[in-house]
Amino acid sequence: MSETKSFALDFDLPFPPKKVWRALTEPALMAKWIMPNNLKDAPKLGDSFQFKFDGPANEWWDGITHCEVQALELHKRIQYTWRGGPLDTVVEWTLFETPDGTRLHLVHSGFKPTDGHAQGGAEMGWKQKSKTLAKILGELS
Amino acid sequence: MRHENDVFRALGDPSRRAIFEHLTKGEAAVRDLVAVFEISQPAISQHLAVLESAELVAKRKEGRLVFYRIKPAGLKPLVDWIATYQEFWLERALRLRKLLEEMDDE
Repeated sequence: MSETKSFALDFDLPFPPKKVWRALTEPALMAKWIMPNNLKDAPKLGDSFQFKFDGPANEWWDGITHCEVQALELHKRIQYTWRGGPLDTVVEWTLFETPDGTRLHLVHSGFKPTDGHAQGGAEMGWKQKSKTLAKILGELS
Repeated sequence: MRHENDVFRALGDPSRRAIFEHLTKGEAAVRDLVAVFEISQPAISQHLAVLESAELVAKRKEGRLVFYRIKPAGLKPLVDWIATYQEFWLERALRLRKLLEEMDDE
């Protein structure tokens, strides 16, 4: 595959890994913090499911992110493809137990160098940026 | 050369975003924007200066009037999906934290 980029984020959560795992894999809980989705039960290896972005669709993206579970280790790791619009990426969550709870490690990979120049993405990017940055800054300070 | 943050900062301010959106309907003179937004002229000019340095709008002078218009290419180059999704997941993590607090313990 030609060169792709990825990024990693770590979240230290004062909750046990089993609880964090539930939020990562139970459909109703996933809908609350990630996005509405079409899962009926917790996803299994090989399952396909979809997230529906709760913003307006445009001609470059119908707002649906297609996911397929590529790796699953109970309470430890879940990896699924994350495909929608111009993106063909992979999301991987790994859980590490810590003295204070759980370190949730995210790797989002597969971004191509050209994944930055679609006009449609610009609009979605702006909606994301302007709505969320203020909130993030407000809550992080 | 503008930096992505310039555009982000420019449009992150609600008043500036409103002015920008108004200009998408067509070119407007500064004094018309003052009338529409009921903000002082110095304030409007300051907002327009920020939009201009982010290369989102361009101006032209006609006699004593100054007109501003959208630069169509203004928004195009700056989508960075990695940055978009970094912010997406950061914001989602805040929701996750809140959800975990509200969930019953096992």
